Amino acid sequence: MPMFFDAWHFDGQSAVRRNVEIEARGHQFYLREQDKQSGPFDFADLRFLENKADTKVYGLEGRDGWRLGLRGNVPSELVPMLPAAKTYGGLIDRLGLGKASLVFAGISAAVVAVVLFSPQWLAPLVPSSVEQKLGDALVGDFGGRFCDTPQGKAALAKLTRSLDDNPQDLQVEVANIDMLNAVALPGGKVLLFQGLLSQAKSPDEVAGVLAHEIGHVRERHVMQGLLRQMGLAVVLGGFDGSGGSTLNSMLSTTYTRDSEREADERSLQALKRANISPVGTADFFNRLAAMDGSGDIKDRQARTMASYSSSHPLSDERRKLFENAVVKGAAYKPALTPDEWRELKTMCAQDKDVKSGWGFDIE
Amino acid sequence: MTEHQGKAPSAVTFHGSWTDFAKIALPNVLLTLVTLGIYRFWATTRERQYLWSHTRFIDEQLEWTGRGIELFIGFVMVFFLLGLPLVIMQLVINGLVFQGQPLLAGIIIFAMIMFVFYLTGLAYFRALRYRLSRTYWRGIRGGSDDEGFTYGFSYIWKNVVAAIPLYLLYPWASMSLWNERWSKMSFGPYQFQSDADWKALMKRYLLFYLVPFLLFVGAIMIGVSAAASGAGGTPFSTAGGVAAAVMIIFGVLGIYILMPLAALLYYSKFMRVAIGALRIGDLEFDFTARSPDWILYWLGNLAIWMLAYGAAFAPFSIFIAADPTQFAQQLEAGESILSFGLVIGILVAIIPIAFASSIIRYRRWKFFVVHTEAFGEVNLDRMTQSTTQSASHGEGLLDAFDVGAI
Repeated sequence: MPMFFDAWHFDGQSAVRRNVEIEARGHQFYLREQDKQSGPFDFADLRFLENKADTKVYGLEGRDGWRLGLRGNVPSELVPMLPAAKTYGGLIDRLGLGKASLVFAGISAAVVAVVLFSPQWLAPLVPSSVEQKLGDALVGDFGGRFCDTPQGKAALAKLTRSLDDNPQDLQVEVANIDMLNAVALPGGKVLLFQGLLSQAKSPDEVAGVLAHEIGHVRERHVMQGLLRQMGLAVVLGGFDGSGGSTLNSMLSTTYTRDSEREADERSLQALKRANISPVGTADFFNRLAAMDGSGDIKDRQARTMASYSSSHPLSDERRKLFENAVVKGAAYKPALTPDEWRELKTMCAQDKDVKSGWGFDIE
Repeated sequence: MTEHQGKAPSAVTFHGSWTDFAKIALPNVLLTLVTLGIYRFWATTRERQYLWSHTRFIDEQLEWTGRGIELFIGFVMVFFLLGLPLVIMQLVINGLVFQGQPLLAGIIIFAMIMFVFYLTGLAYFRALRYRLSRTYWRGIRGGSDDEGFTYGFSYIWKNVVAAIPLYLLYPWASMSLWNERWSKMSFGPYQFQSDADWKALMKRYLLFYLVPFLLFVGAIMIGVSAAASGAGGTPFSTAGGVAAAVMIIFGVLGIYILMPLAALLYYSKFMRVAIGALRIGDLEFDFTARSPDWILYWLGNLAIWMLAYGAAFAPFSIFIAADPTQFAQQLEAGESILSFGLVIGILVAIIPIAFASSIIRYRRWKFFVVHTEAFGEVNLDRMTQSTTQSASHGEGLLDAFDVGAI
């Protein structure tokens, strides 16, 4: 038995607004306008679109621009046939805003936790051949900037041997770039920059820095950092603007700082095993502290804030760490003999083929 | 806006209120936050549903039918098809530089820049097309049969030509791109037409263009007079010092007030000329916002941003000021707890900023709607459904390049 209701209608074909009567017949309905009639349409194909003032507007699946508007209170006979009104859409409407927010927050926290913690377990699973290839692709021969003399290389190999039990899977190089720094890269590559060597007062200093970088390699920090950064970029990529990147750098620097601490610990252990004095490394950090000014900042609050925002622990803190590790009266032996040290320090100057600096001169 | 008596009521009117809009914006902010930003595509959709449905053209409201999932898919597509390859190319370029192949690296960088440039143009076009195809009025929608691929090339060459005479042809480029873009759009069976004349913009553009030069000349003149009056004494106690101070004030004034002001004057003229030249069927448009309207609008936005940033930083200062020594000690001892606190702090700081950007979008829409006028007639019988294809993946490209709507 048919039922009739008043409504307005756009048919999606023209912009003419029609006042129609809905004639419901079971699961289907017709729209009647004076002598015209359209349909039958399935109630199941109706889609709730919006509440427009006092009107509920529906569309029809598969009909572009087809609209049906029911003004005022929808007759109770029609209500069970029509799709429910939506505010947010599916899931959130079903749970309610509060509950849905809690569920989402829980999922988000879990995802971020996985991204932050899983690299520790995932990094060792990356095959070393893959890591090796990645390292080669990134660095190659550094544009011919690796210094090479037989004596210099021998001194470097000796230094590496004394600090690590498996030197064969490390590739330690001196890069002919005037920079007070050293880096660990994927695939067990460690680069010491020439600036570090020329400013170093003793081989012990270089030993501490090298042991620190080897520490990064052994703890798989490089791969971990890479995975974590990539993961955070994906997870926080949904935020637009600077919110996501601020959070990203915040979360990842916390980890970099922890990694630096671990590498410092490793370095201290290696120096102890090799019976090399940590005093040289403390000197190095002293010089670094003078550069970054961390020794001068007296204000405790300012200092911790500075340490919070930087990726490395403050040089001044690290100087103290290495200074405190010095055992009074211990019979330390120098990391290299004076001859070896001279050969290492001057390796880049002696190497005639090596390219220098960052300049990309093509010969 | 108050309606003046004796003036015909506007064909395009806005009926929203910002307090109602806030009821949509605030849950949006909450949901965006707890979903790590993913909800923002659905948030945008709900915002637009509100704005469109409170905008009336003649006798019927507009309807936004875009869906959150479309914007989300667009974003994911851009992330994987564009973002990831660009990151990988970055690594490849680093590798090439280190391996002593700077020439090849340079060529790749150039190609990448051109590619991104092309995509920016394409993104402008596609976003307009998407928005029109999701905008319904009386069951009829807009769209475009053009995919926008040629527009991407126009975007490159017109911008390059504009740059050659030291960007003096910028008004020509932007106006001619506006005309090109809109001429390819349609609503229902009607094609948009736009033939705005760029030469009308030149006076305002030259004003904007010359501000830095005038400032520079002014600074030099003050500098010269300072030198003549015997600068070199104690700063700020001699005439030279005073002149230096004036110079600094002049510079700040120039950079933070005169430059944006000149840009606003130009933009105001641009929108008036551009929208004024737009036609569709028997309809013509007009944009009534003049420079003072723009300045007020811009100052309002500025005030909202300042409030929002104030509210965002307040929790931090309380956090640190509550107990600075304990804060410092905890930091040194076990930082993980405090990292957590700070991360929460940042998340909380996002709330006022996200809410403010929502309100800014509301203001922008309202500003455009209340200042847009339409004249002419619409024949409802002839206003039939658009036959254009509609893209299903939203504004991903535009979103990725972070560029605006009109």
